[in-house]
Amino acid sequence: MSAIAASTVDVGFLLTAAAAAVAVAIEMLEALAIVLAVGVTRGFRDALAGALAAVVVVVLLCLALGPALLGEADLDFLRVIVGSLLLLFGLEWMRKGILRMAGRRRRSSAYDEFIEERDALGGGQAGGGGPDWAARLVAFKGVLLEGLEVGLIVLALGGTPGHLAPALLGTAVALALVAAIGLMLHEPLRRLPETQLKLGVGVALTSFGTFFTAEGLAVDWPLGDVALLYLAALVAITAWLAVRRLVPAALVAGAR
Amino acid sequence: MSGLLGSLRRLIFGETWTIPLGIGAALAAAELMRTALSESVWTSVGGFGLAVMVIAALACSLRRPG
Repeated sequence: MSAIAASTVDVGFLLTAAAAAVAVAIEMLEALAIVLAVGVTRGFRDALAGALAAVVVVVLLCLALGPALLGEADLDFLRVIVGSLLLLFGLEWMRKGILRMAGRRRRSSAYDEFIEERDALGGGQAGGGGPDWAARLVAFKGVLLEGLEVGLIVLALGGTPGHLAPALLGTAVALALVAAIGLMLHEPLRRLPETQLKLGVGVALTSFGTFFTAEGLAVDWPLGDVALLYLAALVAITAWLAVRRLVPAALVAGAR
Repeated sequence: MSGLLGSLRRLIFGETWTIPLGIGAALAAAELMRTALSESVWTSVGGFGLAVMVIAALACSLRRPG
């Protein structure tokens, strides 16, 4: 009996860490693409200054919001709030992923974002030797928006008892991974199957969101945390069916 | 500034209102089911009802991709 309990705890821990790691890695890759583009075209000092300022703002916001979210709130109410937040992110990532896989939307690529951002910034250069505030602002805005999404996802995933440690562990692994990719510059960005990864994160976040929201509404999932696995399977099958259903219609529309 | 606020809105609510409205409708329907069903039935099958409504919200958002 205790072995079963231990295995269900491990499933929750591993799934939370994996979901946090992949979600954070993808968002940080997008932020990295923007910082690299600003750095290459306008100078890495200004790119890093804008990015660092955004990181400070995100950390301060998380430190302000985190205790309120993780603190004294009623546990069931907290689960519904956290679950709804995860559903908002998860369903949006799934919607975009399904449309991309079906060919109804351009595929996601941090490398393409890097090229577009680089080309957009290439036109103007900073005058003199002073700070390039336009470049700093672009890096700041890009990192702030991606960082806020990371912060909200990590707070939501870690917002229920027992899930904070795996969420932070997954985040740390993702940050190390993205830093390593950043050191190797842009070649690895080209090889990542980003669309599939984002759809996978959407499936994971939607499963967690459904799980936590139902628990907040006094549902007892059969098999405890293992329910995350069969919920993920159900959501993944739905995504696969949706892509299959949308692909022929897209091809027909393209042939006209 | 308005560009940043628009980006923040899209960050939290997404590109379409179908998903936040769908989640709200799913929560309202789940609460109605909870009051209509006996406690033991809700506790054991309520989660699956919510999962079906979440999938329905996704399906609606795909029908109106804009």
